[in-house]
Amino acid sequence: MIKGAQAGTFCLSAGELLKLAACAAEPQATAPRALVVIWLNGGNDGLNMVVPYADSAYYTARPGIAIKPGEVLKLNDKVGLNPAMSGLARVYADGHLAVCQAVGYPRANRSHFHSRDIWETGSPDGFVASGWLGRALDHLESEARARQIVSILPAVNLDPVLPKSLVSHHIAVPTVNNLADFDFRTDPKFAGDRKTQLAALNDIYQNFALGRPHVELLRDAGLAANKASDKLTKIVQGYKAGANYPGGGLGDALRFISQMVCGGVNARIYNVSLGGFDTHINQRAGQGNQLRQLSDAVAAFHQDLAAHHLDRSVITLIYSEFGRRVGENGSQGTDHGAAAPVLLVGKAVSGGVYGDHASLTSLDEGDLKYAIDYRQIYASILDKWFGLDPHEVLGKNFEEINLLEKHRT
Amino acid sequence: MLPRKDAFWIAQLLRRAGFGASPAELDRYQKLGYKATLDELLHPERIDNSALESLLAREKFDFGNPYAIKKWWMYRMLHTANPLEEKMTLFWHGHFATSLQKVGDPKVMLEQNKLLRRLALGNFETLLLGVSKDPAMIIYLDNQENQKGRPNENYAREVMELFSIGIGHYTEVDIKEAARAFTGWHTNQKRSAFVFDDKQHDDGEKKVLGQRGNLNGDDVVHILARSPDTGRYLAKKLIRYFAYDDPDGDFIERVATQYQVNGYQIRPMLHAIFSDPSFFTNRAYHAKIKSPPELVIGAIKTLGIRNADIDLPGVIASMGQNIFEPPSVKGWDGGKAWISTESMIERFNFATKISSQKFEELKPFMSPTQLASRQGLKTSHDAVNYFLDILVDGDVPDYTRARLVKYMETDLDGKATRGVKNEQVLDAKLRGLVHLIMSLPTYQLA
Repeated sequence: MIKGAQAGTFCLSAGELLKLAACAAEPQATAPRALVVIWLNGGNDGLNMVVPYADSAYYTARPGIAIKPGEVLKLNDKVGLNPAMSGLARVYADGHLAVCQAVGYPRANRSHFHSRDIWETGSPDGFVASGWLGRALDHLESEARARQIVSILPAVNLDPVLPKSLVSHHIAVPTVNNLADFDFRTDPKFAGDRKTQLAALNDIYQNFALGRPHVELLRDAGLAANKASDKLTKIVQGYKAGANYPGGGLGDALRFISQMVCGGVNARIYNVSLGGFDTHINQRAGQGNQLRQLSDAVAAFHQDLAAHHLDRSVITLIYSEFGRRVGENGSQGTDHGAAAPVLLVGKAVSGGVYGDHASLTSLDEGDLKYAIDYRQIYASILDKWFGLDPHEVLGKNFEEINLLEKHRT
Repeated sequence: MLPRKDAFWIAQLLRRAGFGASPAELDRYQKLGYKATLDELLHPERIDNSALESLLAREKFDFGNPYAIKKWWMYRMLHTANPLEEKMTLFWHGHFATSLQKVGDPKVMLEQNKLLRRLALGNFETLLLGVSKDPAMIIYLDNQENQKGRPNENYAREVMELFSIGIGHYTEVDIKEAARAFTGWHTNQKRSAFVFDDKQHDDGEKKVLGQRGNLNGDDVVHILARSPDTGRYLAKKLIRYFAYDDPDGDFIERVATQYQVNGYQIRPMLHAIFSDPSFFTNRAYHAKIKSPPELVIGAIKTLGIRNADIDLPGVIASMGQNIFEPPSVKGWDGGKAWISTESMIERFNFATKISSQKFEELKPFMSPTQLASRQGLKTSHDAVNYFLDILVDGDVPDYTRARLVKYMETDLDGKATRGVKNEQVLDAKLRGLVHLIMSLPTYQLA
């Protein structure tokens, strides 16, 4: 793992890291390879994100909500991006956006919650308790320990609830949304007592065993909370954004991730989501606004990382639990469907369009058939980006896709 | 070994069927005994709740304001004489999750909340029909747009997947057909009442779950509510909500049977859960993670805080339960999902907020020196034991107890001390003790 980076860098003290962050403008800035995962919550309509503008069947199926050929931001002579996605269209022109088409899995599940589980666990066939990212983290952390590489936090979740994808066998992934509130507070009237209370609490937590179902979970979360609050508040000071982020939750989250990457938190995985994609009604406006936010925020994030010379260290995966039906419904919207595109963004990404857009006439219960199994993308990232054996994480072999430049050894 | 005393299990019942209890409430219920307490909780219609209603009336809430309906509901949870009714309303809010963010008008959300409360322990078919015709739900799941020849599947899917029979018991065709049955189920222009739009209703033949005919929404609700799958789905969800997270099939069947034999009533299911032998075992005891309202309301009640200076809706939102704004149509996952590093920090910091309040009903806090003399809490040991008992049933490892005593026997600079402290130091240490106990893993358990 972390091939091509210098392991010694990750053993710096917090103080040294602060210095490093302060002089991040210098080109030798380095960080272990990280993956940012953005889930588009609600089932993003793939056909209006990556528009098959040269296919007349698209216009037949969607008389009310189709995007006209003149509006799309063309990627090639078949497909183009939604007009709200000018930010990512620029990233594509620079060669740093990969668009994988018709991604899905066998026997599409159209429940938000089950399909989300399938994406997050990497297991369409049956229930598993851990997530694909959690299992990857288990492997990454054991290698890191073997090489004595210190990461302050192995991964950071920015969503309100920890997703299944980050459930691991050995690691409690911290959730942090708002750094300002992420602080162990005590009664300000007796400020001198804070240290004594914190010490007592940490001792008690370290020695807390009770033989009741949730006690271990609570103990680990409590210890991780105090550790994270202590470290994070110190390390992310002194960061200056190198790009203008758009307003909204996703822009704020990605700026915070950049702050952590630049501050030397050295997490390998950051998780965040953007909602508002369950567009059963008035889809043109609703989805357009969300795609604009997505595209602007991700483009700003990668510009920011470039300004800090860390753009080779981070890739961003963007997916949704399913696409939507080919035909529009009666409400200028679309109902739950199946296959849809997945995006991968980053300087290390080999930009381009991968796979053909799915047939709009040969359907599976009214929905697009998948051509790329989502686990092929996972396998490609696990192997090429993290240097892990995909079989160990996914339990099977999948044909990889060359989404990432060959990785230096 | 868990104690076999009624009092012990009444306290658990009130943590589950309610939001904890004040010392006075606990006293009263313990005089009633377990059976009579459960009976009272199951029959809110017999209880005079006028003190709550006049308290709410005095507040003069402006229900056009989203924050006001949240505060109104938190006050109900805190001051109601019918805790189970309020708890079930919260259960249904998570079950029939509907969000202010999409619905927009707080008054429409408030009407839904009243519907859920009115039918909280009653007939599920009536409740499901009420919800299917509820303006907030119609707006939230787009049934407003569901029209003849142009069906919108949103409600039809969720009513099967999440509200009744559960996933695995229907096909994609059932959803498409049920969507047609709900065409024309709209609201009026003001979005304040249900209207059946005849012209937009699809009168053709449909087939849902094997039943064929010119089905309408009432028929679909009827089919769904009477399915044994619904009984099992609700039984499992209720047991997980009130008893423990991973019930076995037998327990689920015992509760589901009550649904079938009593004409789809919720009350007998609740009675079955709270009187099941497994409710009085280690499997149930301290086996549930407190939801944010359970944690927050419970603390205020247990510690007898009459005038809490706390933004109640804001505090529970920061812990992950923003009432009237569930994260999705699936509501809150609950259980383990309440816990993350961030929610733990919020829980720790809420404990700080609580421990710096005035404890009007808790004698020891009125004057720390009185605590030493009158309450008989002469030593640090006594104080630690007293607060561990009232806050967590004393359910902690020995090390915790010893470490808390050690904490009590330091001064404000952390140096070890012995003997009598001055009033200010004692007050600070007692508050620190409450903060620490409320931050323990056990305090997060109901």
